[in-house]
Amino acid sequence: MSAPAQRRPVVLLRPVPGTSTIHELWAGTKLIAALGISVLLTFYPGWVPIALVAALVLTAAWTARIPRTALPTIPRWLWILLAIGGITAALGGGSPDIHIGSAAIGLGGLLKFLRISALSIVLLGIGGMVSWTTNVADVAPAVATLGRPLRWLRIPVVEWAAALGLALRAFPMLIGEFRVLYAARRLRPRPELPTRRARRRWWRVELIDMLTAAITVALRRADEMGDAIAARGGTGQISAVPSRPGWADAWAALIVAAVVAAAISSELLLGSTV
Amino acid sequence: MIAALSAATAIIAVVVPFAGALSLLGPVPMGLLAYRCRFRVLIAATIAGGLIAFLVAGMGGMMTVAQCAYIGGMIGVVKRLRRGTPTIVVVGLCAGLVAGVLSVAALAVLSRLRTLFFDAITANVNGLARFLSHVPYLDSAADPLKNGFATLLTYWPWLIGGASVPAVLLVTLIAWWALSHVLNRLSGTGELQKLDIPADAGPIAPLPVRLGDVTFRYPNTDHDALGPVSMTVEPGEHIAVTGVNGSGKTTLMLVLAGQPPTSGTIERAGAVGLGKVGGTAVVMQHPESQVLGSRVADDVVWGLPPGQSVDVDTLLEEVGLDGLAERDTGGLSGGELQRLAVAAALARDPSLLIADEVTSMVDQSGRDALRQLLAGLRERHRMALVHITHYNNEADSAERVVNLTGGGVADNTEMVELAAAPAASSPGHARTSATVLEVDGVCHEYASGTPWVTTALRDVSFVVHEGDGLLIHGGNGSGKSTLAWIMAGLTVPTAGSCLLDGRPASDQVGAVALSFQAARLQLMRGQVDHDVASAAGFSPRDTDRVAAALANVGLDASLASRRIEQLSGGQMRRVVLAGLLARSPRALILDEPLAGVDAASQRGLLRLLEDLRRRTGLTVIVISHDFAGLEDLCPRTLELDSGMVAPASAAAGGAA
Repeated sequence: MSAPAQRRPVVLLRPVPGTSTIHELWAGTKLIAALGISVLLTFYPGWVPIALVAALVLTAAWTARIPRTALPTIPRWLWILLAIGGITAALGGGSPDIHIGSAAIGLGGLLKFLRISALSIVLLGIGGMVSWTTNVADVAPAVATLGRPLRWLRIPVVEWAAALGLALRAFPMLIGEFRVLYAARRLRPRPELPTRRARRRWWRVELIDMLTAAITVALRRADEMGDAIAARGGTGQISAVPSRPGWADAWAALIVAAVVAAAISSELLLGSTV
Repeated sequence: MIAALSAATAIIAVVVPFAGALSLLGPVPMGLLAYRCRFRVLIAATIAGGLIAFLVAGMGGMMTVAQCAYIGGMIGVVKRLRRGTPTIVVVGLCAGLVAGVLSVAALAVLSRLRTLFFDAITANVNGLARFLSHVPYLDSAADPLKNGFATLLTYWPWLIGGASVPAVLLVTLIAWWALSHVLNRLSGTGELQKLDIPADAGPIAPLPVRLGDVTFRYPNTDHDALGPVSMTVEPGEHIAVTGVNGSGKTTLMLVLAGQPPTSGTIERAGAVGLGKVGGTAVVMQHPESQVLGSRVADDVVWGLPPGQSVDVDTLLEEVGLDGLAERDTGGLSGGELQRLAVAAALARDPSLLIADEVTSMVDQSGRDALRQLLAGLRERHRMALVHITHYNNEADSAERVVNLTGGGVADNTEMVELAAAPAASSPGHARTSATVLEVDGVCHEYASGTPWVTTALRDVSFVVHEGDGLLIHGGNGSGKSTLAWIMAGLTVPTAGSCLLDGRPASDQVGAVALSFQAARLQLMRGQVDHDVASAAGFSPRDTDRVAAALANVGLDASLASRRIEQLSGGQMRRVVLAGLLARSPRALILDEPLAGVDAASQRGLLRLLEDLRRRTGLTVIVISHDFAGLEDLCPRTLELDSGMVAPASAAAGGAA
């Protein structure tokens, strides 16, 4: 039914329909794994860690049966930007050189560019994996469980988890309201302004109006939510079933830990990679 | 809440790098939070917002939220201390220095990432230099560029540390400017949280309660919102409270829920215990906003004291939601959400349940189910039910009806009569007038091509003629709102076409006016005349045209200088219409124009629309689940059922 030229939108915070081992993992495990891997790649952005993590992400995607159509269509401007970056970096040259006949071509710049691109893609992929296999309803209880040790330090983890759960609950509603705001703005005519100064002024007013409208919407939601919380007698339980890891989570944690250990040791042994 | 807003800006800031302005404005909501609430709230919002941003955009998103909180917190605190621009400049400079030191320290620790970044940028710069060296006239710039950049990089700590001072200062000043304007606009939007009730100690026993000449006046107003009212509620009673909008029905709910009255006496057996086990439970008007859990079962237990267990499945079965425990609350209809709210109330085994206009935002079938549920509750539970309503058949099942006349306004109670759904009709006579909208084989899918694809419309075809009055009705998820967006040109259908005067509607956004269900979202300026002028495209100084536009929808010109926040719900809808109609649209689409409006305003609005249609030949399309009184405005009916035109009305659409 849909036209093939249709662009696929970015869909986040919604699990891919269906279930799998990855879907059934405890949300806390997935969060910790994603955070841990992000920290790893921030400290050791070498080729070996990137490749290892990419392999992990691909395996997880395959296990979770995430179809390729889950990926959004990449907009053309991004391709153009990538092309410009790639070409200038390739022109930059640098070691290592490859020799084709008598000409030496320096691949150093291109390799650096490819590594940064691969790093960004892998980092986005990790986020996508969590986002596409986890029901948002499971996130806040998992954070509450994970943060339990922090309660000893008198850190209000329960409050944070409740805020997180409410924010995730309010998120789609707010997005819907912002969509209406934006649509209502599109329905309005754009004044024809002769001078640049008038245009700038119009933009300033427009910006403040949009911001005020968005904040008003959010505040009204917050007030209604405040009433609803008061009607429930304040905060308390946030989940009907206890949130805790199972055996599969131990295995998953072990695999991620092994990948992280392998990545770090390779980096330390090989030194700073190319 | 604001965390969600801030996260929304964060996503947009990361996903759409070109929308840089939004990331500049991200600190504003955070600043508002720091201005209004305690520091602890800002921390909670930062953590929650940061985690959400991490889920959608990774580490970068989390960092953006942290930055927004850093700058927002600063300007919010300075605002609260009532300091001016000089203070914010000094604070901004210091914050910039701190941020600079922090980023240099971070880059010093993350040496490998730093090397990678710098090498990659160097490669880009060298490549650019090499390119320039082949371009005539620019070749002399190549070497200075290459060498200059290399020299700069050797001083990277100074470069990055130094650059962050003006950068942070700039963002701070922009956010400060925006926050000041936003706060100005928001001032006077009083009456925030309604159920802000002081906690009462002692054993919980809300009933029996005896009200003696109780009145209530909101702060900064000059008339009583309620009363004087005298009434009693005994344990196990079923009382209906009726009255027009503004007669104080909701205020009575607040007083029963524990709000101390302005004058008069309230005698209770013990503490009110709002939301506590055995105390008072409240179900309110808006279905969406009182559901707090993302999953049905979680919502039932939300807020119960830790350790207390309830039989969720039994409760859900009682309200008719059995088997839905694992469902996401986002996918429930209004009626189902309200029944879920009743289940959450029952989980507290309350002695008193107050239902405040629970059916007014719900479609017909949902309304019937809710009414039956509420009427049957007392057979299974020992509790009193106070049912606040403006529907007469809902008051019928009560043992006693309390009629509020409103503070001094001795109006007769206008009760809404519910009408049966009219059969989808075909036009009685052949139309000869010109075609305005031609919807042909329209199909629409959301998230088309992805695993999340949902079909909203399938093969919908119909024609709207000039001067037509068409009612499109259907239940929740029938795709009627999607159809409205397509007809207004705001959404391009995935298949089929929607033509306005023979050209695609999406090329002519604004030619068809659309009045959204939430009128407040459509009013963007601070003042009525500015908003009408902006919507219609003329200058707000053109007072004659503003007055004419307001008169066209039956509003007095004196309203022009009124602030949007001071308008009632019915007035807001009329102001929206004034702006839309002043552009002489080809057609006017109204999405749920009667939702949440009381009987008198409903009738007034309908009369206005009928008059407009007759007088100016306006083409009107109403999207609604309500039927009452719409027959005159919309002689033609089209029924949508799960995205398709229902068979009975297909003929009407086709023949038209």
